[in-house]
Amino acid sequence: MYTQLKQELYKLNHRKLPWIIITLMLFFMIIIGLAMGRTYSNLLVMTCYDSSTIIMLILVIVGSTIFSMEFQHGTIIPLIYRSSSRSAVFFAKFITLFLYDLVLHIAAMILTVLLNIAPIINAPVSWTAIYKYHQPLVVNMFMNTGVDLITSTLIISLICLTSCLINSNTAVIAINALIIFMGSDLSSSLLLAHVGPSSIVRWNPFNMLNLTTQYYNYATYHVTSMLSNAQLLTGTLCYTVVFLLLAYWAFGRKKF
Amino acid sequence: MLNVKNINTYYGRKLAIKNASFTVSPGEIVGLIGPNGAGKTTIMKTLLGLTKFTGSITFDGQQITASNHKYLVNVGALIENPAIYPFLSGKENLALYSRDKDDLNRLIKRLGMTAYIDRPAKSYSIGMKQKLGIALALLNNPKLVILDEPMNGLDVEATISIRKIIHEYAVHGTAFLISSHVLSELQKVMTSVIILNHREIVMDVPIDKFQNTKISHYRLKTTADDKQVQDLLHANNLPFEYRDKSLIIRTQDTAPIQQLLCQHQILLTELSPIRKTFEQAIVNVLEKKRGAE
Repeated sequence: MYTQLKQELYKLNHRKLPWIIITLMLFFMIIIGLAMGRTYSNLLVMTCYDSSTIIMLILVIVGSTIFSMEFQHGTIIPLIYRSSSRSAVFFAKFITLFLYDLVLHIAAMILTVLLNIAPIINAPVSWTAIYKYHQPLVVNMFMNTGVDLITSTLIISLICLTSCLINSNTAVIAINALIIFMGSDLSSSLLLAHVGPSSIVRWNPFNMLNLTTQYYNYATYHVTSMLSNAQLLTGTLCYTVVFLLLAYWAFGRKKF
Repeated sequence: MLNVKNINTYYGRKLAIKNASFTVSPGEIVGLIGPNGAGKTTIMKTLLGLTKFTGSITFDGQQITASNHKYLVNVGALIENPAIYPFLSGKENLALYSRDKDDLNRLIKRLGMTAYIDRPAKSYSIGMKQKLGIALALLNNPKLVILDEPMNGLDVEATISIRKIIHEYAVHGTAFLISSHVLSELQKVMTSVIILNHREIVMDVPIDKFQNTKISHYRLKTTADDKQVQDLLHANNLPFEYRDKSLIIRTQDTAPIQQLLCQHQILLTELSPIRKTFEQAIVNVLEKKRGAE
């Protein structure tokens, strides 16, 4: 699989979109910083200027094309026959997306550090100041980034699944964007509407999208998610594995 | 090298290839011929482990399955359209799969792609893309190359060049499995032919079988007036046809006709054998098969 991973990274590195779109993320973070002002300085630093949503959106745009471009250009044929197995091709793509996700989070953290050093948007806050979970702000930032990496991996597994099930790139982007922006609300609506026993409904996959937001704002989001942080984390990891296996199953049966 | 035994391929419940068996040896150039929908591309995809199948495919003695094709490392292919990433240059497309930089540069030079190889592939013409697709198939000195309609979009010069390259690789032991609708092009390169019809192999023979077909008739031209010769043949009960300003005579009548013409002091300007063309021979095979069904 090492060869396939190298090939995927080579392609990602030579595409313009994944790297140009990072500037959009940085621009979005500055806008959020300007909009939220000095009142939420600590929260802005902890959440890397609320980069979670834009990172997920970027993942959807870049991730959906990572599969669809192969189907569109017929490049999936050499990719598969030149590899040892289909699984090598599939998991190389998943790992590439995960590494790209990691790069996005690192870029968000670097900009956060720069914005917190230079008093351009907000007055710098102390990295050692105790903030959430009785931890220093710097730990909060790293922990929140780690949690968001897990939430975004759930989105990656969803992208893989929808890309292997649906041939239209536009449909894949639209569905995943809707899940990102409305999934959390859909889950709370389901829970509020009492469509079933809440002890079961609260484990729906859309609820897992609350993991990052609940981590930095427990009081507000725990009420709607009805799950603890640990439960959300477990659910997210489980759904990631399930979606990934389903995506692999769909990829294995896809005809080219 | 490649051994295919009783393979059946299904698309859903529909049978796409029925009980196909054949072998390809090193240096052999096998032409895969058949009408549209006969299953040429499906066979090629099956060989590459892209579809599920029953039966057995071995390459260099190693079993190929839909889930395991690591032994296809020495196989190159061009299936349907050239598989090219438009955002990469031609060279980058090749570099993606290349294991030997020298081989890559040699191939670019040999295919005459040096002038445009560093340009983004999205700016290439159809012919340029096709050449790049063929270059991708020939990359890393493969033992077997599978080409589906390789001459699509190529100009005359490029077609001749690709034909020469195929011969060069075959001389060095590379085997080819080529499908094409341009039968005359295939005839110039292949050493054996597999004919497919209705998803099954109806013939698998060396190309010599078609090239050395029996001569049934001769074309005859003489120094005399055509009418005079026709009257002479009529008078001597020698059957003939008059086609394309020539007399067509039976093989067994060539000797008596020559003697007759000689007696009447008529000289020959042409006496050439008429064989079935390759296209005619293929059409005959397919028609016979349809008639038998």
